[in-house]
Amino acid sequence: MKETTPLVRVVDDDDSFRKAVARLLRASGFAVKTFASAAAFLAGPEFEVPGCVLLDLQMPGMSGLQLQEALAEAGHRLPVIFLTGRGDIPTSVNAMRKGAEDFLTKGAPKQDLLDAVRRAIARDAQARVDAARMDALHRRFATLSPRELEVLKHVVRGELNKQIGADLGIHERTVKLHRTAITTKLGVSSVAELTRLWMEAGESEE
Amino acid sequence: MSWVTVVWSAIAGAGLTLAAVHLLVWYSRRAAWASLCFSVMAMATAIMGFCELLMMHAQTPGQFAAALRWFHAPGFVVVVMLVAFVRTYLRAGRPWLGWTVCIARAVSLLLNFLVGQNLNYLEVVRLRHIPFLGESVSIGVGVPNPWMIVGQLSLLLLVVFVADAAITVWRRGDRRQALAVAGSILLYMVVATVQSSLIVLTAMDTPVMISPFFLGIAITMSGELGRDLLRSAKLADDLSASEERLRHAAEAAGFSTFHWDHDTGQATCSSELLALCGLPAVATPRLDADLISRVVHPDDQAAVLAGVRAAADPRGSGILDESFRIVRADGQMLWLHVRSRTVFAGSGRERRPLRSNGIVLDITERRLAQEKIEQQRSDLAHIARVATAGELTASLAHELSQPLSAIARNAEAGKLFLQDPSPDLDEVCAIFDDILKDDQRAGGVIDGVRALMRRREIERIPLDLGQLLDDVVALVRPDAVARGVLLARKIEPGLPPVRGDRAQLQQVVLNLVLNAMDALSDSPAPQRVVTLRARSAGSTVEVAVRDGGPGIPADKLTQIFESFVTSKPAGMGMGLAISRGIIEAHEGRLWVENNPEGGATFTFVLPAGEGGGTT
Repeated sequence: MKETTPLVRVVDDDDSFRKAVARLLRASGFAVKTFASAAAFLAGPEFEVPGCVLLDLQMPGMSGLQLQEALAEAGHRLPVIFLTGRGDIPTSVNAMRKGAEDFLTKGAPKQDLLDAVRRAIARDAQARVDAARMDALHRRFATLSPRELEVLKHVVRGELNKQIGADLGIHERTVKLHRTAITTKLGVSSVAELTRLWMEAGESEE
Repeated sequence: MSWVTVVWSAIAGAGLTLAAVHLLVWYSRRAAWASLCFSVMAMATAIMGFCELLMMHAQTPGQFAAALRWFHAPGFVVVVMLVAFVRTYLRAGRPWLGWTVCIARAVSLLLNFLVGQNLNYLEVVRLRHIPFLGESVSIGVGVPNPWMIVGQLSLLLLVVFVADAAITVWRRGDRRQALAVAGSILLYMVVATVQSSLIVLTAMDTPVMISPFFLGIAITMSGELGRDLLRSAKLADDLSASEERLRHAAEAAGFSTFHWDHDTGQATCSSELLALCGLPAVATPRLDADLISRVVHPDDQAAVLAGVRAAADPRGSGILDESFRIVRADGQMLWLHVRSRTVFAGSGRERRPLRSNGIVLDITERRLAQEKIEQQRSDLAHIARVATAGELTASLAHELSQPLSAIARNAEAGKLFLQDPSPDLDEVCAIFDDILKDDQRAGGVIDGVRALMRRREIERIPLDLGQLLDDVVALVRPDAVARGVLLARKIEPGLPPVRGDRAQLQQVVLNLVLNAMDALSDSPAPQRVVTLRARSAGSTVEVAVRDGGPGIPADKLTQIFESFVTSKPAGMGMGLAISRGIIEAHEGRLWVENNPEGGATFTFVLPAGEGGGTT
């Protein structure tokens, strides 16, 4: 995990509101960067910096929802908090379904706004930790040979060596050798631990 | 009793009677110079007849010669008057010929008194007595005067003059006049000249009798003049009947008439008009600023005065067409409409107004009805406006929430800054400035909505339609953003102002823009464009609202402006009907066309200019 100050991006076409909300967030101790349009935001390079996006739902040109879609398509997983002048239920449902972190009216109480920003930053940080862990796990599984991976799949199903050998058409002893290689490479001491790691790495291996 | 005395007395009497009658005619109508000529001629003819009588009853050659000498004096007058009559009555004859005749006759008159005993005889030697009309009359015998030829020549010239005039009159088409007047003059002239020449030159046995022939001329001429008198009497009757009919028609139509003489400045008004304005029944008031300030409503005085001055302006069309209010002495207010036309004389710099004839119509009831309709339309428009504003609620909520939220955020930030042990006061100051700015912005939004919704008197003020379009765009912009519609503006710079009611015209544009955005709801994003265009077109300003939607079905194109016709599931169908009503009340037109490349364009035109009627 990189040690970087989380950055709050504010995207809003209304100069006055953008300035005010940035001022509030800075006074509350956040690093803030503002953008006057979705296009200006997409042109910027700071997607890798952790943090979150405060996004105006209604903007001329590309709207907030369109920007959210564009971010998702590009694979950037910055949490998005939508801000709107009006509490429009269908729009908010739509936004949340597409993975919005939160949905606030522009006049929402300060505490709600700050809480939402903190939650989003925390979630982003957690997501980045999780992603890093997952990366490490995947790297560990990636050290296995294809045959060892075959054997592993049978092992985690709880099958015996004999059964595995029969299924794969190899000798029981060979299975045993593979199992030793697997536990060594992954650094686990028991089948139970192996199974837990496998489950954690999860569906991506399927 | 002597026949000669009877006949010649009758000739003289007839001549004098005709003279008296036409002298009276001339006295009452000074412009009738022909009557005066005729009168003098008839009088001279009577004197000629008297001289002839003296000649016939002469006892000595001397008496005969003297009577003949004096005979030529009225003879001269008759010839001159004949020339004048032909010129004035027939409006024909060559002037130089006329003058020649008069001069020749004047010369003969001089010769008459200077050479010999008279123009005809150097000396009358003796008298002969011949029987005439059953008695014995004297005729002269003597030495003919060779200068008589001058007299004959003058008469010949007169014949030529009259014949020439007769041809002119004949060619002009007045054949009866040519025959009657000129023909009779020629006939009697020739006969009289021939007869008198024969008497002197051949000593024919008849007395000199010129006057009966001239009486013949006089009677024919009198007949003509009499016909004219009868005709003008009939014309006067016809005119008064026609005036009567006109007056009845005017009464039936409810308008009053006036006649404005520009030389005197006085207006002769029909009694109805004087009564209408509360003026004394016998007045012929001067049509000037003073009269206008006394009668016309203070608010309309300037317009009426300008209209009256324009009507008398030789460079103008001379048409006066003005609606205005008058306030009568009893405090009652009336709406009048005046329409008149001025007749001008001369051209170029010499052109000046002669007189104006016109009518005045009491349009009070019509105006009151119109005002009532206007009021109802205004009420309806207000209802529609409130409904329209309802449609805009979401947009307005957004527009208001922006500054309000910014104020809240700034205030919160300010509080946090002040909690700092060493606060950045410059920043806090900037925060307060921003808060004030946003407060004004929110106030502006509220004012805009209030202006749109307020029920108030309709006012006509000069408006910049470009500015009005900008205001409407500012109002609907958030809505357009939310609907993903792009609002494009093409406003020609330097548009002339248009006189109108701001809120009502805003409502029309707003309605058209909202309709256009509705029409785009199913269109793909690139086509979601509403274009507002304003440009000047001749003496009008044209505003068009164009969308790229599906257009309007052909069968709806004409009826779309009727009430309760709508293509929108939630629409009431009043918007366009009210919009057209508003535009027409502004003397403009509103119509719709489908664009060749798809979508529809609503266009309205309004007359340009700060002025305009008081409607």
